[in-house]
Amino acid sequence: MKTTLIAISIIAVLGVALVSQIHFAHAQLSQTTSAKQYLNLRAEVWNEFFRMTTAAFTVGAIVSGTMIWLVWRFRESNPKNKSPTKWEHLEDPTAGSYEEEGH
Amino acid sequence: MVLELQKPRPVWQIMFSTHHTDVGYLYLVFGITFLFMGGVLAMIIRTHLFFPGQNVLVSDSATFNRIFTVHGLTMLFLFALPVANGIGNILVPIMVRYKDMAYPKLNAIAFWMNPVGAALLWLGFADTTWVSYAPYSIIRAPGPAADMFIFGMKILGISSILSSINFVVTVLKCKHPDLPLRRVPLFAWSMLTVSLMTIVAMPTYAAALIMMLTDRLGLSGFFNPFAGGDPIAYLHLFWFTFHPEVYIFLLPAIGMMYEIIPRFSRKPLYSQASGVFAFVMLGIIGFASWGHHMYSTGMDFTTKVVFMIGTLAAVPASGMHVFNFLATMWGGRIRFAAPMKFAVGGIALFFSAGAGGVLNSAMPLDFISHGTYWVVGHMHLFLIGTIGFGFVAMIYYMFPYVTGRMYNEKWASAHFVLMFWGTVQTFFTQHLLGLEGMPRRVYDYPTDFTSWTQLNQISTVGAWLIGASFVIFLASLIYYSAKGKPANMDDPWGIGGKYYYPVSAKNPHGGHSGY
Repeated sequence: MKTTLIAISIIAVLGVALVSQIHFAHAQLSQTTSAKQYLNLRAEVWNEFFRMTTAAFTVGAIVSGTMIWLVWRFRESNPKNKSPTKWEHLEDPTAGSYEEEGH
Repeated sequence: MVLELQKPRPVWQIMFSTHHTDVGYLYLVFGITFLFMGGVLAMIIRTHLFFPGQNVLVSDSATFNRIFTVHGLTMLFLFALPVANGIGNILVPIMVRYKDMAYPKLNAIAFWMNPVGAALLWLGFADTTWVSYAPYSIIRAPGPAADMFIFGMKILGISSILSSINFVVTVLKCKHPDLPLRRVPLFAWSMLTVSLMTIVAMPTYAAALIMMLTDRLGLSGFFNPFAGGDPIAYLHLFWFTFHPEVYIFLLPAIGMMYEIIPRFSRKPLYSQASGVFAFVMLGIIGFASWGHHMYSTGMDFTTKVVFMIGTLAAVPASGMHVFNFLATMWGGRIRFAAPMKFAVGGIALFFSAGAGGVLNSAMPLDFISHGTYWVVGHMHLFLIGTIGFGFVAMIYYMFPYVTGRMYNEKWASAHFVLMFWGTVQTFFTQHLLGLEGMPRRVYDYPTDFTSWTQLNQISTVGAWLIGASFVIFLASLIYYSAKGKPANMDDPWGIGGKYYYPVSAKNPHGGHSGY
């Protein structure tokens, strides 16, 4: 299930990125040198830029937000995080990894 | 092997040693020295650009070109590679439970080629830019500086290949028989990946350098348009080597974060397998995207699409690393000591740099950003934001191991705050400068462009903050390695578990992450 979700997420991100590029590529292929079309293409390029920036900022906000929350929530000075975790009772809490230890 | 300061040896014993830790120390001292030398050049560049039209610090464009050329060469080849090799030398044999590197003498020879290469680069002080594009580098670049650059890079390239062969053989052939390759720690995996990449990538550039030299001597005309050559061919050869080289700089820093994050989160790594997979994927994909540096050279549309897809293919593998880091931290009890602060800061900036890279790889947008300060901001976010933060994190992490003493946590925090703030202020601003149209590598700019002036000044203040942070870093390294409190070598940060590798190395059946 986890693998499927990750695969779907990756395909979705790649799909969005590629579709927007192919859309623009068609515009680029049909370019001519007239001033009006040149200006249209400039506008198209900047539209593309702002679209991708919006996507980047959205994903960035999610990842950065997750990271900031992680740092705040799981810092050892957080009152909710006073007691040792289950791994800290082991001789070496970092030994192995999830898939090996079956956590 | 610990504690040179507690049990000092004559310097020459370390200098002529072939033991992996001694060679590692030499690499580290060499790399950190050149970090500061390259940093001084960066401060000169940024201070000069703070005052448009006033020729502050640099009085002519030729000198400015030389300064930023040597700055780039120093930071990439005399800081980033040697520091990664130094930490790799110290840790990889221990991680694979072997007594030394596979070929100790070759290891020492590979290191000692670095000062020779460095001397050629610094004494020549070429003005070709670090990419040294033809035709300028073969027709107009003044000798002997450009020739010294060619020989310096040649020597550094041979050194890289020799040390890479050593790492590959050490990991694949000398690891303990009880240690399956899939359980080799991820830092060692990162060194294995970048070593294989170096062996594949570097010969192409070595050939290009010889072609460049013979072109300069008038014996050939490979890249000389007046002799029927093609300058674009040089770009292909150069970027076939140096786009993978980006990952060669980056992956060791990611590997170092894999050492630090589970330790300070006090829990196991989320997924060893996905880390290995992502390293291998990046190692392969790194070779599929060199053309994205050359969209504006008249490349045909289909080729550009292929390279664009090749570039975007690096996103999932990079994302796997970020996901792995966050999942490892999730549910832990995190101690934000200096190594962890720098590691987490590095992840945040890695993500930001990657997001900028995705925009950059889109070919229509590349035409806007190509040759502008956007590119400068993007690559520096990677180089300082990820690689620099990863390396500094690891240096703080290894400080007790190497010196037997503790650094001062408050000064380290001050270093982190200044460096993080400075990095964001300097390089995010440079992205905006690029969108405002400011070309890179310019000596001066018109004072009429007020937005350029303002953004340059903001960026320069950020650079000064980074400079100040590294002054703190250097002072801390020197002072606390001599006067710091003795560290508890079993657990310097009081976070539980086993601090260090010698313990694990002596006990092949227990210890950190299975090694």
